[in-house]
Amino acid sequence: MNRFEVEQDPKSRDTYYLNMGPQHPSTHGVMRIKLHLDGERIISAEPIIGYGHRAHEKMAENRDYIQFLPNPSRVDYLGGMIYNVGYCQAVERAMDIEVPERAEYIRIVCNELNRISSHLLWLGTFLMDLGAFTPFLYAFDDREKILDILDRITGSRLTYCYARFGGVILDIDDVFLDNVSNFCTYFVERLKEYEKLVIGNVIFRERTIGVGIFAPDLAQKYAITGPCLRAMGHENDVRKDEPYGIYDRFDFDVPTQTEGDCFARTLVRMEEMRQSIRIIEQAVSDMPNGLFLAARVPRRIRPPEGDYYFCVESPRGSFGMYIASDGSDIPFRLKLRTPSFSHISAMPAVMASTMLADAVAILGSIDIVVPEIDR
Amino acid sequence: MIADKLSSLLRDTTEVQYDARGFHVQYTASADTLPQIADAFLSENFHLEMITCQDRRENDDAFRLIYQFNQYGMPQRHVIHADIAPDATAPSIAATFPAADWYEREIFDMYGVSFDGHPDLKRILMEEDYFGHPLLKDFVDPPNPYRSEDDAS
Repeated sequence: MNRFEVEQDPKSRDTYYLNMGPQHPSTHGVMRIKLHLDGERIISAEPIIGYGHRAHEKMAENRDYIQFLPNPSRVDYLGGMIYNVGYCQAVERAMDIEVPERAEYIRIVCNELNRISSHLLWLGTFLMDLGAFTPFLYAFDDREKILDILDRITGSRLTYCYARFGGVILDIDDVFLDNVSNFCTYFVERLKEYEKLVIGNVIFRERTIGVGIFAPDLAQKYAITGPCLRAMGHENDVRKDEPYGIYDRFDFDVPTQTEGDCFARTLVRMEEMRQSIRIIEQAVSDMPNGLFLAARVPRRIRPPEGDYYFCVESPRGSFGMYIASDGSDIPFRLKLRTPSFSHISAMPAVMASTMLADAVAILGSIDIVVPEIDR
Repeated sequence: MIADKLSSLLRDTTEVQYDARGFHVQYTASADTLPQIADAFLSENFHLEMITCQDRRENDDAFRLIYQFNQYGMPQRHVIHADIAPDATAPSIAATFPAADWYEREIFDMYGVSFDGHPDLKRILMEEDYFGHPLLKDFVDPPNPYRSEDDAS
């Protein structure tokens, strides 16, 4: 029997096992869900992960802090900027490195642009999973605009390595700020179009309302974070609860919904994009002059011995980095706590006794990024 | 209060400077009290943020399990260190926190540490027929049979 073949239960003629994946389009990567089905009803679901395991944590133990800089953005390729900046902030806090004001503001603008681009990709692919092709083209068109803006200053379009310990590698210019301002004006109008196109759509509502409900106790059991948690009525956001960088200076809301279904998660993410625009507008208008990289950064990055934990709000939830330092150049242990890993481990509880077609909607709505699960 | 419930279970408690370290309290516990500790955290509405492990066989001749609990709302991060001997097993807390299920499987996969009472302890990230435990400090990457001599450098 080959590795992917599923064994059927010979005693039962009513139920059967079905592989969803490893190359199913709606898993957005290489992941398999072993479904036990009674007709079209799911009896149990077992996610099988690890096809994209690249051993980032092992790599961290074999290279120094600076050499690990390009890795975090490869862990989650959609929120690459946020991961890259987050890793730098983690080490900066451990080493007590001061970051210039201008660099902090640049990071905020880039982080939030990255969050919007991640949410746009999610919107497009989620709706394509549900059978709607048009929003995919709209979302990717707008996402392309963000990628062009970021490409101009960072030199990359997806896996950014822009932040450095103590700031960012290159300064921004007025053209970048103009581009960002123009995009904000354009995108606020565009969001209204999305809402008309998507939220009001009857088929979309039928496919998502009441589907994939996260039971209230699920949050505590599985440590759900991010938009999935906010769709369950918790007003939790790392940017508000444990403000990192300079997030405490900005005025923005944490959108919540109470239903906890796929529709609520969609509404939360749509509103989050609007809030991100608000943050960007404030950051652009307050952008100070000055250094973009601290003048005095220690040449050897050696955090004092001990454990450090730093978490940031990634587009999918709370992304944490646990760094155990033994006082040398190389991390003794670096653990990446990724939100998708927690969310996908809750899938057996969410998917049980739903319909097969809803499994696609649920997987799409929690916004998984498979490399982030596998690391 | 969580501190009262835990006081009898823990060996020593260290208040940590949150601004520098990112968590609030660090405890050391013996591994066999972990299920009671997990129960105490569950009853106080904590969630299990992550479990991880360190291979400290060279330093202390032990594996160090690290459990991190947190609260929604006001963050209150508690970190528990439990050292176990290299050939010992730890009790599973998957019955209390289902999130522990996958984290324990990951530690089993990466370090070879076994958990008693785990519902289905098997590899999670590496393939089922894999032979080693990659995050051990003395792990040696096996020669790749598909790699040609020219690529070896």
